[in-house]
Amino acid sequence: MLKYSIKRLLESLVTVLIIVVAVFLLMRLMPVEGYFGDEYAKLTQEMINRKLESLGLFDPPLVQLGNFLGDIFTGNLGVSTRIQIDVPVTTILAQKVPVSAAFGVVSTFISLILGIALGVTQARFKGKFMDSLGTGYIIIINSVPPLVYYFFIQVFVSDWFNLPMRYDGDNPVSWILPLISMSLGSIAGNALWVRRYMVDELNKDYIKLARAKGLPYKYIMYRHVLRNAFVPMVQYLPVSFLMTIGGSLLIEELYAIPGMGNLLVQAVQKQDNNLVQVLILIYSTVGIIGVFIGDLLMMVIDPRIKIGSKGGAR
Amino acid sequence: MDEKKVQLTDQELFSFVEFDRRKSEDTGYSDYSYWRSVLRSFAKNKFAVTLLVIMVLLVVFAFFANATARFGIEDLNRNDKLVSPNATFWFGTDSIGRDMWARTWYATTISLEIASIVTFVCVIIGIVIGCIWGYVRATDRFFTEVYNIIANIPQTVYLILLTYIMEPGMSTLIISMCTTSWLALARNVRNLVFMIRDREYNLASRCLGTPLYRMIVKNLIPYLVSVIILRMALMIPQVISLEVTLSYLGLGLPSTMPSLGALLSQGRTKFQDYPHLLIFPALIVSIITISFYLAGNAFSDASDPRNHV
Repeated sequence: MLKYSIKRLLESLVTVLIIVVAVFLLMRLMPVEGYFGDEYAKLTQEMINRKLESLGLFDPPLVQLGNFLGDIFTGNLGVSTRIQIDVPVTTILAQKVPVSAAFGVVSTFISLILGIALGVTQARFKGKFMDSLGTGYIIIINSVPPLVYYFFIQVFVSDWFNLPMRYDGDNPVSWILPLISMSLGSIAGNALWVRRYMVDELNKDYIKLARAKGLPYKYIMYRHVLRNAFVPMVQYLPVSFLMTIGGSLLIEELYAIPGMGNLLVQAVQKQDNNLVQVLILIYSTVGIIGVFIGDLLMMVIDPRIKIGSKGGAR
Repeated sequence: MDEKKVQLTDQELFSFVEFDRRKSEDTGYSDYSYWRSVLRSFAKNKFAVTLLVIMVLLVVFAFFANATARFGIEDLNRNDKLVSPNATFWFGTDSIGRDMWARTWYATTISLEIASIVTFVCVIIGIVIGCIWGYVRATDRFFTEVYNIIANIPQTVYLILLTYIMEPGMSTLIISMCTTSWLALARNVRNLVFMIRDREYNLASRCLGTPLYRMIVKNLIPYLVSVIILRMALMIPQVISLEVTLSYLGLGLPSTMPSLGALLSQGRTKFQDYPHLLIFPALIVSIITISFYLAGNAFSDASDPRNHV
């Protein structure tokens, strides 16, 4: 397993490198006007050149790439060039990541607990009223564009319960609505998975045996069914927790939460090359590591699963 | 059957029978037709059929309503700004006096057009790439790498680059949505192909030297029909949602071409005082996406031969 882990990590390194280089090259294809914004038309050619030179854009792309990668390897993430001029990227991240991560982690916990509870209830009362109710919820959440029900929550629910419509760091009551909006989607996702796996699992022979032995239904549900149904979900847990640092774009925008959500979009729009590159580097590394941890976790939890070996013909 | 076997004497069992051409062609008669069975089991699901009818009516009506609109989508009614729905303006007017009835239905057709084109393109790319990815082992590493790379580059980068190369407009939006939306389907198809590629019938087929193209079209794709239909039906709501999100971020269509997403994001600012700006687009988008989702699920169940009686 150690050998497999090392091999896989080295492969991931190459993938991350390719992603960063691809983004780097794409950003260099962007129009020059993008570096200036509205004042572009008023500037003289000389001023434009001076600015571009100060951004280091006249160096050959390979030199720029080399500089960027060299800085990264020495732990220097550089400065933002357009969003918050000359502020180190680490400072920006230190401001924004905790906010997004806090919201994300709490909402991931909420959606795990409620999602599993809903899924278990649905599987237990399969075909009954509770099941249809849950299915209705899942269908609506999965098909209606998130923006529509985010609006709905922000405008109506805030009115009904007299909750603030904007985020305020010092007022915990204002955190409720964003958290609810953030969790709704993943509750539906988790419930869908749990229900499906539990229904699959309930039809298996060992469950029949357990029932024949006379074990109580609740015991079978929690000790056998839920545990086995949980295995495939474990794989996604690390990614969903780690990716919370990225924040939620729409919700942070709607509630004016100073998080990571729209940083990447803004950085791309304003062509803050260094910031974009660093963000992509972080997101892709975190994403790939998350999947890797998920695979390892799955192997630990369920010893039957072996990912490293090639396995049989099928 | 068993009784007959017992009654046969050794002589009957081991003597040569004369060749009878008619008997050699003799098989049990079956009037099983795949698509007819699909339709029959779909028709049994009354709820899904109702939704499908609603959806079709809505879509037809959207195109038809464009013709009935009394005002153009860009006509300004300067004296009638932010009017609530009434006899003249059936869905009211927006903040500069444009008729929401015309705009909403026009936006519906635009969103549907985008969704269906993107879905169609992505399904084709997804199936072709997914089949090759799953079936040809040598390409697995390559496509996995491509998948990782494309999935990790944010869509905003493509969108801005494309709007730089081309005019901002529908085709730009469609192309940029296509660059990422096929990934999930391709991966899904790949995993399924992985599961069935070494089943005995495929092994036999390969031993007989069946060419790659025929393997994919005749041996693999029929297995995937129900999954593909499900994905297709789910993709339309997803594309509409994506378009709504992109429009909200200001990365969507130019303002002369309102889509449902653009209407929703415009309606938001004045929503509390003028709910009609948001409710009609939201209602229409919800009806369309929910019906697609449910009807698609039902149709996918119906297209799985295991559910045919």
